Amino acid sequence: MLKIWSMKQQQQKSDAASGQTKKKKVTAAQLRVQKDLSELALPGTMKTVFPNPDDILNFTLTLTPDEGLYKGGVFNFTFAITQNFPHEPPKVKCKEKIYHPNIDLEGNVCLNILREDWKPVLNLNAVIVGLQFLFLEPNASDPLNKDAANDLMTDRDRFKRNVRSAMAGGAVKGETFDRVMK
Amino acid sequence: MAATMQPEAVAPTTNGHNSSGRARWKYMDTLLSRPGAYTDPDDFVPGAVPIGNVEQSHVLVIGAGGLGCEILKNLALSGFKKIDVIDMDTIDVSNLNRQFLFREKDVGKPKASVAAEFVMQRVPSCKITPYVGKIQDKDEDYYMQFNVVVCGLDSIEARRWINATLVGMVDENNPDSLKPLIDGGTEGFKGQSRVILPTMTSCIECQLDMHAPRAAVPLCTLATIPRQPQHCIEWAHIIKWEEERKDLVLDTDDPEHITWLYEKALSRAQEYNISGVTYSMTQGVVKNIIPAIASTNAIVAASSCNEAFKIVTSSATFLGNPGLNNYMLYTGDSGVYTYTFEHQKKDDCPVCGNLPKDMLLNPESTLGELVESLAERPESQLKKPNLRTEEKTLYYSAPASLEESTRPNLKRKLRELLADGEDFAVSDGAFDITFRYTVRYT
Amino acid sequence: MATDVQYVPPPLQDIPTAKEKKYDRQLRLWGASGQIALEETHILLINNGPGVTGVETLKNLVLPGVGQFTILDSTVVSEADLGVNFFLEDASLGKFRAAETVRLLMELNPGVQGYAVTEPLETFIAQDNVFAPYNLILVTAPIDPTVLAQIQTHAQTLQIPTFYIHCVGYYSAFSVLLPPAFPIVDTHPDQTATTDLRLLKPWPALVQFAKEKTAGLEEGKLNAQEKAHVPWVCLLLHYLEQWKEEHDGKLPESYPEKTEFRKLVRSGDPHEENFDEACAAVLKSLNPPTPDSSVREIFNAPETQNLDATSPPFWVIANAIHQFYTTHKQLPLPGAVPDMKAQSADYIKLQNIYKTKAREDCAEVLENVRKLEKNTSRSPKLAIDNKEVENFCKGAAHIHLVRGRPFQVVQAGQPVRFGDRAKAMAMELTMPESLIGLHIAFLAWDEYIATHSSPASEAGGQALKVPGSGVDDFESDTEKVTGIAHTILDGLIKEAGTFVEDPEYSDVKAKVGEFCLEIVRAGGGELHNIASLTGGLVAQEVIKAITRQYVPVDNTCLFDGVASRTGVLRI
Repeated sequence: MLKIWSMKQQQQKSDAASGQTKKKKVTAAQLRVQKDLSELALPGTMKTVFPNPDDILNFTLTLTPDEGLYKGGVFNFTFAITQNFPHEPPKVKCKEKIYHPNIDLEGNVCLNILREDWKPVLNLNAVIVGLQFLFLEPNASDPLNKDAANDLMTDRDRFKRNVRSAMAGGAVKGETFDRVMK
Repeated sequence: MAATMQPEAVAPTTNGHNSSGRARWKYMDTLLSRPGAYTDPDDFVPGAVPIGNVEQSHVLVIGAGGLGCEILKNLALSGFKKIDVIDMDTIDVSNLNRQFLFREKDVGKPKASVAAEFVMQRVPSCKITPYVGKIQDKDEDYYMQFNVVVCGLDSIEARRWINATLVGMVDENNPDSLKPLIDGGTEGFKGQSRVILPTMTSCIECQLDMHAPRAAVPLCTLATIPRQPQHCIEWAHIIKWEEERKDLVLDTDDPEHITWLYEKALSRAQEYNISGVTYSMTQGVVKNIIPAIASTNAIVAASSCNEAFKIVTSSATFLGNPGLNNYMLYTGDSGVYTYTFEHQKKDDCPVCGNLPKDMLLNPESTLGELVESLAERPESQLKKPNLRTEEKTLYYSAPASLEESTRPNLKRKLRELLADGEDFAVSDGAFDITFRYTVRYT
Repeated sequence: MATDVQYVPPPLQDIPTAKEKKYDRQLRLWGASGQIALEETHILLINNGPGVTGVETLKNLVLPGVGQFTILDSTVVSEADLGVNFFLEDASLGKFRAAETVRLLMELNPGVQGYAVTEPLETFIAQDNVFAPYNLILVTAPIDPTVLAQIQTHAQTLQIPTFYIHCVGYYSAFSVLLPPAFPIVDTHPDQTATTDLRLLKPWPALVQFAKEKTAGLEEGKLNAQEKAHVPWVCLLLHYLEQWKEEHDGKLPESYPEKTEFRKLVRSGDPHEENFDEACAAVLKSLNPPTPDSSVREIFNAPETQNLDATSPPFWVIANAIHQFYTTHKQLPLPGAVPDMKAQSADYIKLQNIYKTKAREDCAEVLENVRKLEKNTSRSPKLAIDNKEVENFCKGAAHIHLVRGRPFQVVQAGQPVRFGDRAKAMAMELTMPESLIGLHIAFLAWDEYIATHSSPASEAGGQALKVPGSGVDDFESDTEKVTGIAHTILDGLIKEAGTFVEDPEYSDVKAKVGEFCLEIVRAGGGELHNIASLTGGLVAQEVIKAITRQYVPVDNTCLFDGVASRTGVLRI
């Protein structure tokens, strides 16, 4: 055992902290989220809400698209990050029941980097940009809500009308959606 | 076929315990009493010193499962006398094909205590203290009492936690604060063992890329275009359960729950003409079951304990010498193959890349003054910093909502926000690394 | 009350049996067939020396449920045993080691039967047919080489896989004696190994399907969704046709051609996932179907070429598949299709096209098999099972053959020979990562024992003198063993008809000397960690030999516990 210490002494001495601290250390996941948050470049159409400011692993992202089919809506996404971040992706769900080809009625979101394409090098900004993109360019070829995808594919005008009526709290094909207008 | 004759029983030298001498440890002692081909004369004095090191070392074993059972046995029979073991799990019937300290009658009991009890009964010279619970329950005082930590875990999260804890405990002025961490892992016929000398070698956080993230299938594939039996099972698991049994917490050990998922998956598979959904596959997908066998566990656990023994005795070169190999990968499905290499330490590792530095602070000054001073510190010059402790968000320049809610803190005195000796982390969008400091009040 | 509707849980179905639950984690590896093979096995351990590795090996076989085991060991438990063997307890002191280890091993698994034999090895092997009840033998060193040679002869006659195991200090080694022909069909190739999709030589049904799925692709007639879901197999077939038209009917073969072809595929769409998959598959899925060397070795093996009425099914099927290959320049289609972006129905259709073709290929192979049975006048009782032919066809590209080779048994006063492996082993000497030096050190250790032990006489047993086991023989024995090892080293170089020049020669000698020093240092003792690790390696190889699954070590595996690595040599 002494050998290790003598090797340690040979390594360059740093001015690292001395003495022992009994306090809990900022965890690796917290460090990473803090860094991601400091790099976040949020446009005016997005903001974050931290129900408990001391807990940066759980927050809500509010999206208010100012262009595209979903313009004028307010959409809230919960972000739940575990201590295993960034090994695991954040868990993201839409709080409102909305009519969108890539978001199902339970709020599950089909975004590749939230599941199959997640890599620890990706950051929260990438996820947020991805969500923003879903509202500008809903994608009919990888649907979670098949009805919405079919509408988008076959009749873009009808899809537009359905989006507007769903956003106003109306029903589409018997399914009632949450009102999300500003 | 069985023997019919027994030789004259030889009276044991003492009643069970061998107090007189070290006859029991003859093989180990012989080796430790002779210089080897790879021992450094300045470092290894054959005989009493290495033997005493083994007897006096206090070892922590994390995990009492497939690897843990083997590790406890190996350490006890390597002459270690003081061991603690932590595990929060209870024994399941599917453990019995490899976790050899457990029997049918033990199913449902805590692993740590049954394992400790068994090894102590078999090797009376060894005292093993079990703790049934989580590693996170324990603080630095607890971890400080050990000389070596050997891990047999299946969770990456727990590995990262103990790694960060041990890195954080290293004190330049106290040799005892450096605890070698030896980590093993297996999957089927494959496994690895690695040695981490906290702050000196590459750490588990540096090596995070060695763990492949769990393969996942796009949600939309599950929802609309399933092609494989696994897609149908994942659909039942992720989508259907939420839809129909939202209020019931899924218990993957409850056969009724698995059966429910299995039936949903099966009918979906039939709908799409997909074959191959079985109960066993459902269980495998839902619980993310990783195949595990006795032989791979034996190999990886013994390799880990061999490193611990070499470190404690200095009787041969060990993995983890800075600049030398620290990682052994093992594959046994096609022949036998190991790849032993040095995993490089990462300068930007969030855990060991830049260790906390002491920062002298006046408890009566404000957080605002601290934030201003950060902008002037030569190494950082942080213009838009985010600051937090483990518990508290101190001040965040961004995002705006956190800036707003933490702004009042800027006026508060440091003593209200930070305890003496507490760590805090500072990030800034302009820097790749996060700076860490330890508060020292003047 | 009787009309109350209560929640009735759905009936539990297909719930695994108690045994399936217990063995769940291993059944996911070797399946029910592997488990049956394991349960039908009776292993004999001939345990010598400290005997820890042998017992640790058995631990790893009793746990997964080997049928029966027998330990042959006439030693009486000593104090030193208690410090290194987990399957002994304080109360075992003075009792037979075989009986005690059997008793405590059996506690691990109520489904396993164990037996102890305590008679001396020399008299045990003198009996007739003594090895007949066993399917596999483990022998641990130290052992009198003449006795080892006798065991080997029996094992070869009965074709029983046998392991010879060393474990001393920080080092261990084991050699496997497998039958002269040990074929494996179920090799469990790596998940990333490419399955043959026959894209260079598609059959009409596949061509037709690809045409349907890509019709209108060039003209832009597919809508975004249709285009994004054309299976990549169809995309590649489509663009291959286009490529052939532009290249005089030739396929892209060279690396630059394939890179060029990939650009063509990419031109179809810049970012859709199925086009990504197609591009990623270009380099690995467009190779001509040349069977690898181990498959060709099996085709050309005398056993395949010269069938008779009692040839084992493996060789008959190998011959039938060789015929198929000669006719079609292809192996039978395995029939599996990797998952790919596609609509469910399209993917299932594609799967069925491959399955149907695989069945046709298999039917042709089966027909060949039946003809061969007829031509060799095979008895109907030995008729080959359809299922076996089917499995073989599925795994044909990955079948593996091990040619078992005898142990290198030292003989007192005789030079150690490497035979036809001398040249290859001499080349190992100068490879920095090779553990040939450790193998030579173990040979020297065996030879020391052969020349320093008193002959079998009194007490019905033999006192084997192990180097370094005395109080003050460390230096002198190190010198002796190193001397023997250097003689073996020089003998190898000479037998190979080669030279190793200085400074390399001195380095090799020094390395061998270091291995010898470490071995003698242990005085014949086992370190529990090294014994346990070696027991893991041996048990794993035993499971491969019994289940005939996975690829076994061929034929000697060494572990260096100082450098923490293994090496495999074919001796």
